[in-house]
Amino acid sequence: MKIIVAIKQVPERDAPVRIAANHKSIDEADHQWAMNEPDAYALEEALQLKEKNGGEVIVLSAGPERVGSTIREALAKGADRAIHVVSDDLASRDALGTARLLAEAIKPENPDLVLTGLQSEDLGLGQTGVIVAELLGLPHSTLIVQVEKTDTGLKVKRELEEGWFQHIELPLPAVLTIQSGGNKLRYATLMGIKRAKTKPVHAVAAADLGSAAAPVLTLEHIALPSKQKSTQILPGSAKEAAAALVEKLKFEARVL
Amino acid sequence: MCASLPTLAEPQHFSLIERVLFLALAAASAWAFWRRFGPIFNKILHSKKDPGFSLAPIGRRVRDFVWEVVLQAKVISQRPLAGIAHALVFWAFCAFALVTLNHCAQALSLDFLAPQGRFGRFYFWFAAVFALACSAGILGLFIRRFFVRPKWLGQISPESGFIAMLIFALMATYLAAFYVAGTGWPGHALWWAHTLVLLVFLPLIPHTKHLHLLLSPFTVFFSRGGFSKIPPLAGDEDFGLVTGRDLTQIVSLQAYSCVECGRCTEHCPANNTGKELNPKEIVLGLRAYLNDLGPQSEEPLLGKYNSQQAAFECTTCGACEFQCPVGIEHLPILVGLRRGAVNTGEWEDSHGAKLFLALERGSNALGLPAAERDKFIEKNALPIYDGSQEYCLWLGCMGAYDPRGREIVLSLVAIMRHLGITFGVPRKEKCTGDPVRRLGNDLLFQQLAESNLESLAQARTKKILSICPHCVRTIQEDWKEFGAPPEVEHHSEFLARHLPELNLVSGLDLPHQAKSGPGGSFVSGHDFSRAENAQTMTGALAPEVTNKERIVFHDPCYLGRYRNVYDQPRAVVASAGELVEAPRHRERSFCCGAGGGLAFLGEEGGERVSHVRAAELVATGATTVAAACPFCNTMFRDALTQVSESRPGAPTVQLVDIAQLAARNLPHETN
Repeated sequence: MKIIVAIKQVPERDAPVRIAANHKSIDEADHQWAMNEPDAYALEEALQLKEKNGGEVIVLSAGPERVGSTIREALAKGADRAIHVVSDDLASRDALGTARLLAEAIKPENPDLVLTGLQSEDLGLGQTGVIVAELLGLPHSTLIVQVEKTDTGLKVKRELEEGWFQHIELPLPAVLTIQSGGNKLRYATLMGIKRAKTKPVHAVAAADLGSAAAPVLTLEHIALPSKQKSTQILPGSAKEAAAALVEKLKFEARVL
Repeated sequence: MCASLPTLAEPQHFSLIERVLFLALAAASAWAFWRRFGPIFNKILHSKKDPGFSLAPIGRRVRDFVWEVVLQAKVISQRPLAGIAHALVFWAFCAFALVTLNHCAQALSLDFLAPQGRFGRFYFWFAAVFALACSAGILGLFIRRFFVRPKWLGQISPESGFIAMLIFALMATYLAAFYVAGTGWPGHALWWAHTLVLLVFLPLIPHTKHLHLLLSPFTVFFSRGGFSKIPPLAGDEDFGLVTGRDLTQIVSLQAYSCVECGRCTEHCPANNTGKELNPKEIVLGLRAYLNDLGPQSEEPLLGKYNSQQAAFECTTCGACEFQCPVGIEHLPILVGLRRGAVNTGEWEDSHGAKLFLALERGSNALGLPAAERDKFIEKNALPIYDGSQEYCLWLGCMGAYDPRGREIVLSLVAIMRHLGITFGVPRKEKCTGDPVRRLGNDLLFQQLAESNLESLAQARTKKILSICPHCVRTIQEDWKEFGAPPEVEHHSEFLARHLPELNLVSGLDLPHQAKSGPGGSFVSGHDFSRAENAQTMTGALAPEVTNKERIVFHDPCYLGRYRNVYDQPRAVVASAGELVEAPRHRERSFCCGAGGGLAFLGEEGGERVSHVRAAELVATGATTVAAACPFCNTMFRDALTQVSESRPGAPTVQLVDIAQLAARNLPHETN
């Protein structure tokens, strides 16, 4: 089975969030970078499928030079080779723009399965995976916590709300977006890192991928959420205060 | 005086038949010896060269050799009775080297010591004194091994009994030669008896643990030195001890040197609490591997000969390595086996993987967001180190994130502020890599060490102070592989140095303190009372009031055995109360169970190490347990609760760090 795992490099969780001077991006100067966690689970799923059924795991990542470290990490954990879509303008692309790049890079490989995290830890749009499926014209399923290869295709387990799960069968090729926590992640090893050095990384410029269309969305302004705390003391007897509280919860806070 | 003593009378003339027979038997004995020893010698020789090995500084090697081999000081100091018995046998063997050579040379009329000559007369009697001492020693060891039978010696070994009899026979036949005329047949019979015993003894050496006679002087001399010195990995195919090909000459030499005395096992916290790990068996497992497969084998080292589980039960307390009388360095072996398992991804442990992933993605071993550290720094207005202050106060994972660790840091901060010593905390800090280093994750360790070295260099850090012996050791020794770490000191050393100032201050401030009443301690949640404090103070000023708090000090492994710091924390304790010693203390201290990354792994098998130690500390009758390591502290917090539950009615035992003891004497409005 030939599996492509699309991974994104995101700022480390502890990275300080500072708005850049243009108010349109985050200041990345102090950032350290890590593999998007749901993508790490997608990679783990791919590696386990390969270990069970044989085949090849290819990692795919778009972004500037620095993405190389995350690609190497994926190779170290067991992926066989990598495709790096070199692009410096990812920040100005929306989910569709990024998905177009990924889909173009995936097409010539003709994979049996494409896996990616259900969303990114930084932007959290949750759309890239499904748009890739649409662009490739492949069946897809989201929020997957378990994948099993059958004779005809795949049997997957989706996570729904409130502890419910849904079991689906779908044919191959397909695209799945993976939820965190379905498997136990493996740790990176020294042997893995050393072996990764000799694994091929195919770099392809975003401009060479044809449909590098201009973004549909343009970003106007970003800002940190303002921290506000206001306290009101409701006067009157307990009964009056309770009535006033219900009123406020209903019409001001709109939580009732 | 000498004239009244009998003279050694050995035969002077041997018949041709006797000479031929002697030569034939000697050749057979030598052949039997080499048939066994040759392959062992070759296996050691053909093991991999030790990466990072250097003979220099030779002075250290000579010193260790004289101390441990010639003087037998380690053997004697750690097990006095058996040690002295052993030393007597050893020294006798040394004295006998010349005698034995002369004895054999006699058969060929090549003898060089004349019994009547001045030197010969002296030397034979000199040797005779040793022969008597040796007989007494070997008798003692025989009684110990076959009648006293300490459990760590393992099963009764008949070969040891046989060897003991041979040694005894050697001494007896030597001494008898003073009283039997050399010329007649009794003289010849005696000579032959001594010779035959010698010729039987020689091939037995490489066949038994008595191989240590030949090897251990070399093992001690060629040891890596330092404590738990973990060799660097060499090249792209070195992942630690994975297969026979990874066994280095030093490891192989050590494996064959083991004398099976069981000191390592006797002191091993894992083995003493019913776990699988037995450091002696680890070494013997490697020996069996070498015997069966040799140093070129691709067979994994963990499997048939040693178990992975045992290797990961080690707390790296180093009691085994400290105790070993033949220079075996257990920690590089145990950590080496772990490196082999972790660097290749063979080790699968959900807790271990969680720790590794937390450090791959985050900054601390506790897996908490770094923002928690920033909040702690901000809340307590800790200055950031910028190169201008005297000390860089390294918080460590425990000091930055653990509530009790934070209390220790704040006590130390209060002391430094009171003393007017400038300090700052690093703006950013990652785990030093101690737990992953000991668990054998070289990739992660290197990343953490390099990242920390870089940010410390950026801040122009010169002197680090830390409350954690694990941080101190890792920064000072283990980081060296990747750069030049700044000078680093444990807070016990700092406190001991400033103790005079602290105590002087407390005496002057006494009236003020007494008025201040309870509460108001500079760290919220402190549980020591002011009244008790004042009592200690009064005691110090007026010695007749001697109701001092009894404080037992627990030596952290990484401060004691790893760093050789024993007296400084004791000085701090003694300034706060009456120092009580646990039965196992200083070099023989018993681990708390947290080291070697085990604090982050799951529930241990068998009894908990921390409970055993806590019970021992409480049994001293002390009312306070003083620790000097935040990991010991956290282990004992749980263990002491457990212990006090099992002693209903007994007063609860307090747990403090030495920094908290030292801070008690501060005028409390500081900070």
